[in-house]
Amino acid sequence: MNNSTEKAEQAVTIDISGYDVATAEIRSEAKRLLTEKIVDAVVGYQAGRRKGSAVPVIITDPAQAEKLLFSPACVNNLSIYLTKAKKEIRAKGKLAVVAKGCDLRALAGLVGESQFKREEVVIIGVSCAGVHRAGIQPGEPLTNSTIAKKCRECSVHIPDEADLVVGKLPPLPDLPPKEKELMEKLDAMTPALRWEFWKEQFTRCIRCLACRQVCPFCYCEQCLCDRGRPQAVDTSPRPSGNMGWHIVRAMHLAGRCAGCAECERVCPMDIPLNLLNRKMAEELKELYHYEAGMKPVEKGPLTSYDEKDDQSFIK
Amino acid sequence: MKHDFEPKIVAFVCTWCTYAGADLAGTSRMIYPSNVRVVKFPCTGRIDPVFILKAFQKGADGILVSGCHPGDCHYMAGNFHARRRFAVFRKLLEFIGVDLNRLEFSWVSAAEGGKWVEIVTDLTQKIRKMGPLTQFTDLADEEQWSGALSNPELKAVYDQV
Repeated sequence: MNNSTEKAEQAVTIDISGYDVATAEIRSEAKRLLTEKIVDAVVGYQAGRRKGSAVPVIITDPAQAEKLLFSPACVNNLSIYLTKAKKEIRAKGKLAVVAKGCDLRALAGLVGESQFKREEVVIIGVSCAGVHRAGIQPGEPLTNSTIAKKCRECSVHIPDEADLVVGKLPPLPDLPPKEKELMEKLDAMTPALRWEFWKEQFTRCIRCLACRQVCPFCYCEQCLCDRGRPQAVDTSPRPSGNMGWHIVRAMHLAGRCAGCAECERVCPMDIPLNLLNRKMAEELKELYHYEAGMKPVEKGPLTSYDEKDDQSFIK
Repeated sequence: MKHDFEPKIVAFVCTWCTYAGADLAGTSRMIYPSNVRVVKFPCTGRIDPVFILKAFQKGADGILVSGCHPGDCHYMAGNFHARRRFAVFRKLLEFIGVDLNRLEFSWVSAAEGGKWVEIVTDLTQKIRKMGPLTQFTDLADEEQWSGALSNPELKAVYDQV
């Protein structure tokens, strides 16, 4: 977002030799799982049509395992393919999924929400040093200027809870956080200025709803925001409805979002959507000491309560 | 007394406690400002944050959410859930940049007609001092891309046409 600070930062290339190891291990593991019929399908990444790019793929044949790979272009959070909304994928039978640390947090959340049972899915965790941010030409090296914002503050490079962890983590450079800085800047503003900031951001929104489409937790069969009678949120892409949509989205994800920042990555208008999710996560941590996606829990902070909850804001 | 500005205040109340409390205020002939419009819900747990948003967008200057005291909920725990939800929703609105003084929460039981009068009177006075809330209604009047349309390139194209 901020080009001037990006330039000021010295170029740091991140060693991704471990990703080749991960690719080989994913392939052999997928082959084994499919041949031994432990799973019926593997959700992973394959090369895209442009050199260096990667797209999600679901393979059912052990011979196809050679297609799988892991590279800095493997940005997608594949946990979305395991939700109940993806009926055609679940119909394939038992699944294995390739997951980075951040994806694993979403997977834990989905288990908690009964989208699938932990024992029904084999999770192939990848030791991940980081992936590209949005808008990077495929095949570019992974440096501090091409790495995703979320990876700068990643605390889950190694997905320990996975069934097995593949790949090797290189020594990681110390990258200064960007999102945290922006958050602090916003927190320091007056409410009126913050409103101006968000108004500008949301006014750009074209309501393509890519943020909803890509979110593992937006699996409702009918979204509240699509309903016409009664209409909760204006559906046309205009400032008022946009503001409503983004507030509702943040509210519905509060206590559930594990911070994979896919919404922000897919946003064609570059709206910093993860800031809202991050804010909600921070507040929930402060209010109810809850962190989403650390382990599967049956009830999130907003579906449970404590009689001693703070009520200083209520008269 | 006549005022320059009469705020519109929407009160989302639960039917078992606050509605009965407001009723008590009425039957006891207590006087309170008529600025408040009461909307009755089965429980505070039924009050979706979307309702608050919608009320603001439709021109409410202040909003009051009121229900049973903790432990008194007709449905056992509706108000406990509501308490958490609104604690978080407040924080979200604050982050978006809405003045939280316009959003009030209270517990008013069926016996607290006096407390209802007090809360409504205080809120009305507070909002009256703050003036109308234009943030949301201005947004509704704005067109998409309204800012970008004034850029010089587009102006040049427009002039050519």
